[in-house]
Amino acid sequence: MGTTASQLRKDLLSEYQVVMHVFFRAHKRFSELLSKEDRNVPTPRVPMEKVLSLPELKSNPFRKRICHVFSTSDMKDGSLTFEDFLDLLSAFSDSATLEIKSHYAFRIFDFDDDGTLDGGDLEKLVNCLTGETDDTRLTTEEMRQLISNILEESDIDKDGTVNLSEFQHVISRSPDFVRSVQI
Amino acid sequence: MSFDDKKHIRGQVLALKSFKKSRQLNCFSDCSTTVSLAFRRCGANMTLAKQTLELWRGTMKEVGGKFGTGVLSYFKFLKWLLMFNIFSFLVNFGFITIPQLIYHPTPDIPAGVSFKGLEILTGAGYFSHTVMYYGGYSNKTQGTGGRSEYNMQLAYFFTVAAYMVLCGAALIYSMASSFRKKYVLADSGLGGAWQLLCSWDFSVTNEKAVRQRKNNLRIQLKESLSEKVQVALLPLTERLKHYGVFLGTWLLSTGMALGCGASVYFLSSSGSLLEEAATLLLPFVVSLINLVVPLFYSLFKKIEHYSNPRMQVYAIIVRNVILKMSILGILCYYWMKDVANTFSCWESIVGQALYRLVIMDFLFIMLGSFFGEFLSNVIGTKCIQSLGVPEFDVARNVLDLIYAQTLAWIGIYFSPLLPVIQIIKFFILFYLKKVSLTQNCQPPRRAGRAAQMQTIFIAILFFPSFVGALSMVAYTVWTLPPSDKCGPFRGLNTTFSAIQIWMDDLNRVDAFQWTVWIYQHVIRSEIFYFLISLIILVFIYIFRQITQGRQLLITLLRQQIVNVSSGELSGLTCLVHQSCCVRSGCVYVMMLLKCWNNIFS
Repeated sequence: MGTTASQLRKDLLSEYQVVMHVFFRAHKRFSELLSKEDRNVPTPRVPMEKVLSLPELKSNPFRKRICHVFSTSDMKDGSLTFEDFLDLLSAFSDSATLEIKSHYAFRIFDFDDDGTLDGGDLEKLVNCLTGETDDTRLTTEEMRQLISNILEESDIDKDGTVNLSEFQHVISRSPDFVRSVQI
Repeated sequence: MSFDDKKHIRGQVLALKSFKKSRQLNCFSDCSTTVSLAFRRCGANMTLAKQTLELWRGTMKEVGGKFGTGVLSYFKFLKWLLMFNIFSFLVNFGFITIPQLIYHPTPDIPAGVSFKGLEILTGAGYFSHTVMYYGGYSNKTQGTGGRSEYNMQLAYFFTVAAYMVLCGAALIYSMASSFRKKYVLADSGLGGAWQLLCSWDFSVTNEKAVRQRKNNLRIQLKESLSEKVQVALLPLTERLKHYGVFLGTWLLSTGMALGCGASVYFLSSSGSLLEEAATLLLPFVVSLINLVVPLFYSLFKKIEHYSNPRMQVYAIIVRNVILKMSILGILCYYWMKDVANTFSCWESIVGQALYRLVIMDFLFIMLGSFFGEFLSNVIGTKCIQSLGVPEFDVARNVLDLIYAQTLAWIGIYFSPLLPVIQIIKFFILFYLKKVSLTQNCQPPRRAGRAAQMQTIFIAILFFPSFVGALSMVAYTVWTLPPSDKCGPFRGLNTTFSAIQIWMDDLNRVDAFQWTVWIYQHVIRSEIFYFLISLIILVFIYIFRQITQGRQLLITLLRQQIVNVSSGELSGLTCLVHQSCCVRSGCVYVMMLLKCWNNIFS
């Protein structure tokens, strides 16, 4: 028992040691978000409101979607464990590849979580990026025209929605994408 | 994937790992893990160290985060040009200046000439007898006291040639890779609604900046929508009127450029400009023209109506390039034709003229920054509120950088230490522009197109700028007789005959016959270059045909995807296969698979 158990712990340790400095920095930020009682729980979860108070996410228009996408909670309340938090940080780091970033961006833009971006998702996306109040939104006519332009550009199989492959095809033509999806 | 799934998979991986490891000797596995860990940690530390040492990394991240990738591209361009100059300085200093200083440590300055302060501006006087210019180098560095002989002629020639060739190779490589990234991958769609939406910068954290970006994005989306509608709507008379206006403005701008060139020529050949302070008049006029005339060009914006705002930016860039390059071209012509025949140590004179142009250009860039950014900010915020805070004009600033670098490239042959001045200039310019940017400017209202502009700037840097400088140096080296009284090539017919003499010397030694053979039958024979050009043209034609075939295939495949998804199969599959067979099957079927992979992976 002694040798196998110590070997397993050493393997785990060696895996973490390689990214030690990143790990500890991330863990420090995560534990700052936890309340005092939660710190002693084995797999603590940070509620969504606390995550949204992070300076990087506070003004991001997609902050709620980001929490929902990375959250693994059964109650779908957007709370994050430390694993989820690490996933979030690594997906938005500058060493993540285009495939990872486009995969997560697709899930963030998919507001109704049905696996494709249809007209409703695109409308919510444009509203997120242009403004919430009535005088900053686009008019209905402009929105309709814009959505039809988007679909014309990216819907290859002409089914009225943009699936993951089409999204990744469009993204691959935009060389600034990798740099802009970073926190 | 839920947490339990991840834990399960990780448990399986660890179990597999520990099973494999338990089969080996314990101490061996320990050693190998520690060694590999040490290597990985070392690698990570080295990357971290490299990142901290990288020049200006923190500043550029700060600028990019606040002002976006468009403005950041200016600073990256500046840093890239600085690297060219640092390399040039190291090469010139190491191979040309140091041997000269070792063998002749004190420059022979004639009596009566001492260092006055004015030399820093004019470059003449005391400096003209030092190693700063071509004239300060001797023609054969004799060995003294047992030191071996160093052939200064060959060193000078090969250093300049090697630097130019390496620069050209670096420029072609970066031009090709940015061309590939931008044009080959992009579709030809106008507007690009997706491009706008996907250009949202996630790293912006400032609340006010986010609101501003949302505003800008909304304006740009509306503009791109209206652009698409407007293109088809103009009647014939309107279009004729527009074309007439375009013709008028282009003729006017080209005429102004040629007029300025002619006036520069007359000014420079009017003689009596050799007194110390009067030599500053010509660079002053040149820099003044470069500052004022583009302002005229931007007035044309009010009259012309381009359908695409991007075309307007291109038009401004092309006009500025024509102006700057025509002035430089006239000056080079004057130096090659008149100065080379009139003065005794003419290369040093040309070097001094270039030095003055560089210094004056630097002063005017500082002035331009003051007026363009600081004063505009003051006027825009205090006096005329409607103008607002100015934006950082990336195009104008990058063109200034390209002009400065052209001067440095032309000056490599005539003044080997000119890169030092250029390095100091770029260093100060970086910090000056950064301060001016953060104090006076606002983030740009139009997002992006940074990658596309980057390609154009590198192309301009290559084509008129580098190629022009290279052809001027090549003309000097090949045809013009060097001056007899000064410089490393004195007494020869042309600079290139130094190589001829060296080849004759090598011919006498049997061991180097192959070098002589290469020189005579490859470098000096015209057949070789003709054959190379022919082969390159054939390859270009073949690749173009392949590209066209692939594009046709992509269109057919897209059509097939639409048909498959809407349920129709038969007819078009046949069509695709037939066209494949018609165009000689095998190669195109392979490309079909490749295109399929490209679209769906």
